[in-house]
Amino acid sequence: MDINMMFSKERMSFDLKARTKEEVIDELIEMLYKDGKLKDKESFKRAVLKREDEFSTGIGMGIAIPHGKDSSVVEPCITFGISKNGIDFDSMDGKPAHIFFLISVPEDAADTHLHILSFISRKLMHEDVRQKLFNAKDFEDVINAFN
Amino acid sequence: MKILAVTSCPTGIAHTYMAAEALQIAAKELGVDIKVETRGSVGAENEITNEDIKGAHAVILAVDTKVDEERFRGLPIIKVSVKDAIKDPKGLIEKAMAMEKKEYVDKVFEAKKESKEKITGAYKHLMTGVSYMIPFVVAGGILIALSFMFGIKAFEQKGTLAAALMDIGGGGAFSLMVPILAGFIAFSIADRPGLVPGMVGGVLAGKLGAGFLGGIIAGFAAGYVVAWLKKVIKLPKTMEGLMPVLILPFLSTLIVGLGMIYIIGGPVAAINNAMANWLKNMSGGSAITLGIILGLMMAFDMGGPVNKAAYTFAVSTLAAGQPSMIMAAVMAAGMTPPLGVALATLIAKDKFTEEEREAGKAAFFLGISFITEGAIPFAAADPFRVIPSIMVGSAVTAALSMAFKCTLAVPHGGIFVLPIPNAVGGLFLYTIAIIIGTLVTGFMIAVLKPKR
Repeated sequence: MDINMMFSKERMSFDLKARTKEEVIDELIEMLYKDGKLKDKESFKRAVLKREDEFSTGIGMGIAIPHGKDSSVVEPCITFGISKNGIDFDSMDGKPAHIFFLISVPEDAADTHLHILSFISRKLMHEDVRQKLFNAKDFEDVINAFN
Repeated sequence: MKILAVTSCPTGIAHTYMAAEALQIAAKELGVDIKVETRGSVGAENEITNEDIKGAHAVILAVDTKVDEERFRGLPIIKVSVKDAIKDPKGLIEKAMAMEKKEYVDKVFEAKKESKEKITGAYKHLMTGVSYMIPFVVAGGILIALSFMFGIKAFEQKGTLAAALMDIGGGGAFSLMVPILAGFIAFSIADRPGLVPGMVGGVLAGKLGAGFLGGIIAGFAAGYVVAWLKKVIKLPKTMEGLMPVLILPFLSTLIVGLGMIYIIGGPVAAINNAMANWLKNMSGGSAITLGIILGLMMAFDMGGPVNKAAYTFAVSTLAAGQPSMIMAAVMAAGMTPPLGVALATLIAKDKFTEEEREAGKAAFFLGISFITEGAIPFAAADPFRVIPSIMVGSAVTAALSMAFKCTLAVPHGGIFVLPIPNAVGGLFLYTIAIIIGTLVTGFMIAVLKPKR
């Protein structure tokens, strides 16, 4: 599974500045936009917030995976961020989230991309993977956490 | 023991798979065998098969979208949000393990149901035909009833909406009813080649006045003739393509058509004549006995030759436009069969399929409109229980109508004629007669029908 194609050094932050749920979503979207993977920040943000309205994507265990499917997305990818202080993301276990995966998918994503996303989602359920992510210092650490 | 699970979330990108993985990890830790079907953006993966369902202990549905629960019928189901499976997968699996399989009695019923579903042969063919026919009966019947709303004879005025509705409902949908029934009985037996002889046989049954019972005969004959022809005709490979488009349709339609005209047609005509004469002779005797006989006839084949004989006889008593007791009895007896089956679908819900329960609602409207055909789908599906039930109900109604000396001055219209001044003599008792017959039929069917 070539998860490399989902991540990029340009879309990773190991020291997120945001303090609130909305701020962190904005910060991640900004990275995504600067990397040229997004055509319309507002449109995509609406899709992400709409998804959050269904129920929070803070899955607990310190992880949040905000995601959106929107035509403004250029190609399926993940924007990754770590917050040292943690951010209240209305998580299921009530604890702050430290690790963020912003998943962006266009309306007509290819199955290969969706398969990679499902692979990554599954991996997040494993304790050892999460531990490696918490300790990740750079791009390689993140990629290696999944392998 | 094995647990099944389905996971699904709104976008189908992440939670579906996280929940699946969480359940699998928890199951592994608990030493439980699990199979998780994911229904995400890539579609269903690791799909649960019927084999899986048979061997399973319980099902966990961790879903925030609509998923088909029907296929898990008979298994205990735990239904939660997809996030609950991520949060507490262990708790869910433990709960699923603790669920009791359904009671023994339920299992017996399920086994029965299963064996019924497996039923092939005549019953299945009949049901196939009936299920294709139902929408024709419902659509046609309601259109005819709408036409009556403009007045009972409104459709006789050419160019009016009432006439158009009658053409669509009566001339269109109703005339297709028997051909569709026969065609799809044959289709069920012999596949596509059965359709042509079946439908043609059904059309002939209508033309010959053999009604829906004639249609059932035509359907079965057509199906088995095609099946037989398929077996006996052996063509060289190069000509095999001719079988389904030329040889089977032509030969089978020829055989069924000739059979309908010469074997079924003759006796039907003779019976029709005999019945007409017999009724004429009967009219001198006891009014109540005549009522019973007319009631039995009206219900026997619902729009078929026996019904038509009784109806035609009744209309002839109206000849001079004077109110007739016989006409009143016949119309009442023609209303109770659909009303009775409608009632049965209400009081014995569990004995009918969903489709039949819906058809039951339509049957009610057809009943009040004196469109006896509304009961045909039910009679065709289960003739030996339904036909006697509606015959008894109609006989009771017709006998009561005669005993109450109710009269009717118009030949059709059902409930729509009741408010017309002077159309009905003894309106109150007439209504009572119809209600009692409906109750008799409704309860008889409810009792006689087996549990599904």
